Amino acid sequence: MINNYVFRKVKNRLFFVLCLACVVIAVIPLLSILYEVVSRGAPFLSLQFLTNDALHGGIGPAIQGTLILIGLTSLIGIPVGILSGVYLAEFGDNKYASFLRAINDVLTEFPSIVVGITAYSVVVIGLIGSYSPIAGAVALSIMLVPIVARTTDESLKLVPNSVREASLALGIRKWKTTLRIVVPAAKSGVITGILLATARIAGETAPILLTILGSNYFFQGFRSPMDALPLRIFRDARWDNPRVQAEAWGVALILILIVLSLNIGVRLAARGRFKR
Amino acid sequence: MSRLLDVGLEQLTVMVYRMGEVAEKAVDVSVRGFMNGKDATAAVREFSDILAAMTVEVENKAFELIVKYQPVASDLRIINSYMKIAYDFERYGRYAWDISFTHKKLTGLEKCIHPPDTIQKLIDTVCEMVSKSVQALKHNDGEMAKSLASTERKADELYFAYLDQIAETTTQDKCVMCNLLVSRFLERIADHTTYVGEAIVYISTGEKISLR
Amino acid sequence: MTSNSANIKKAKVESSSSGVKMQTINLNAWFGTKQALKDINVSFKTNAVTAIIGPSGCGKSTLIRCLNRMHELVPDSRFSGQVFLDGENVYAPGVDPVMIRRRVGMVFQKPNPFPTMSIYDNVAAGLKLTGARKGRDLDKVVRWSLEQATLWDEVKDDLKKAGTSISGGQQQRLCIARAIALQPEVILMDEPCSALDPIATAKIEELIVKLKEEYTVVIVTHNMQQAARVSDFTAFLYLGQLIEYGHTSAVFENPKNELTEKYITGKFG
Repeated sequence: MINNYVFRKVKNRLFFVLCLACVVIAVIPLLSILYEVVSRGAPFLSLQFLTNDALHGGIGPAIQGTLILIGLTSLIGIPVGILSGVYLAEFGDNKYASFLRAINDVLTEFPSIVVGITAYSVVVIGLIGSYSPIAGAVALSIMLVPIVARTTDESLKLVPNSVREASLALGIRKWKTTLRIVVPAAKSGVITGILLATARIAGETAPILLTILGSNYFFQGFRSPMDALPLRIFRDARWDNPRVQAEAWGVALILILIVLSLNIGVRLAARGRFKR
Repeated sequence: MSRLLDVGLEQLTVMVYRMGEVAEKAVDVSVRGFMNGKDATAAVREFSDILAAMTVEVENKAFELIVKYQPVASDLRIINSYMKIAYDFERYGRYAWDISFTHKKLTGLEKCIHPPDTIQKLIDTVCEMVSKSVQALKHNDGEMAKSLASTERKADELYFAYLDQIAETTTQDKCVMCNLLVSRFLERIADHTTYVGEAIVYISTGEKISLR
Repeated sequence: MTSNSANIKKAKVESSSSGVKMQTINLNAWFGTKQALKDINVSFKTNAVTAIIGPSGCGKSTLIRCLNRMHELVPDSRFSGQVFLDGENVYAPGVDPVMIRRRVGMVFQKPNPFPTMSIYDNVAAGLKLTGARKGRDLDKVVRWSLEQATLWDEVKDDLKKAGTSISGGQQQRLCIARAIALQPEVILMDEPCSALDPIATAKIEELIVKLKEEYTVVIVTHNMQQAARVSDFTAFLYLGQLIEYGHTSAVFENPKNELTEKYITGKFG
């Protein structure tokens, strides 16, 4: 009897230790990456580095490019994503919507390089005729929209139906109910979804490789190539010059800082939500 | 499926049936004492006391059921009627005692000659009504309850007939005075049996009728 | 679809002059293939409280949702028959269901104030979002609604607090205030007290009795004592059919139908 109990306790312990070990193993690569990036990239952080163009040893164009891309993509992708999510959640009780939702889910996992070459052939070759920030934004939007649509859909579905019923019973029309009552109620979920999706696309390389190409200069108009942080890293890391290679760590650090701040920002905002 | 209320209702019903039996006995014993010139006061007094105590018990039980179970429809009608019926049975007992007591006080141990025919008939009628009322209650027989109306008319007629008889005479015979009072008590018992009948009809139909 | 043609000829539409605010004639309702209501013919008198009682699943909620055209919002739902409000068929072609819902308000089982809005905004929501009222008028109406719902004194200093920050009973009265703000003619209540404690319930019951002076109230309840306490008329539904309808005191003292008797005395549940 006692033996059995001790045996079970030991088994319990073992299981716990095993799980803990797996967590540690999973986290080690992340921590080591962070360590590498911070330790190798920190020396490069200086105002000149951040604002000069490539010819003067800086990555200003890359930062500007990433910010422009994020801006354009948001402009295109967020409204489309939100409204798609609204459609799926509020009007999607039929088989067409289920089908659309399925396609949407596939798109969220779509290979980014395929998105890239599609944008290349349709926008770069077909529409504009040259590499362009717009093409880059289109490519990134194609990746952003499904994610935002999915998170918006899920957030709206979390709003209890009783809220919709209350509004409809007051004689408020469906579209107003959706826009003025349901969406605000799901606000934090929707915003979280947007921020996380943005953080994700900020680091995407393949789609922008074929659409904005990369450049050593600051933004030169909508019909020219543009630089961005992931492209800079890609190029610098393969450059023959060891100093340039080392610089890539600095760029990586900037990129990670941007992504991390978006993520941490979301977490802080979420905490504020629960505190109330 | 037996409800919580059913247990209480069962207890209430048993109490009221028992009261009916005791009341019937009280009337029977007192009337027989009157007819045969015997002193039945003590025995009837005992019955009457039992009935008075049971009335209080029935009331308490009924209120307890109302407070606890908020009865409606037939349950509520039963409880309401049982309270009334318990009171009426208590009245049977009380008038029965009045009969015995009056008989003892006014005639002493003197045996009054057999009471006149009218009184005899009145006694028979009233005993029949008392018995009917208890039976109708036990079998929840609305028709039997309603038939008390006609019997009550008969009792009234006999009572008035006796009054007429006395109106003719000038005697101050104690027996006559006793008979007079006794006939009055009997007539009141008859009234109360009709109240019982009305309450019985109310239980099953929810109608409030008058049998008088 | 079952319809009794004799019934159709017999049932006539009563107007509000005879004291009837709403009436259903041969109302049938389905969820998919399951028939929830069978040939319901019932009327709801003006400025009176009518209670609808019956065991779970008997169609009580479905019935009141047919009165304010909320039933049709359920996918795969169907109905047949007519529902009259002041003598006019609310299902007539060309009638805007949204307009009906502004005249026939509804309060639900679980209090559901709008989660992102303050108490003030909750009460004003119906008005603002239906374009009915703007500006300073709003303050007056909000105050009036909260007073009618006997909630004003408790929240008058906290109007900007979130609608969900008050107790359950207060939230339910807030929902009632929100419904009243639109000045409907009929107020439908779907088991309004079932999520509340006895004291909050008592407050709402008092409110209901007060409301009938201005409105016609229809309340669905599974609590028979509540139906007996607050209503003037009671309708008993069983398996989608109307079994009995009458003055509450008559139904609870001496029901005409044996099934009603069995249900209200608890002989079946």
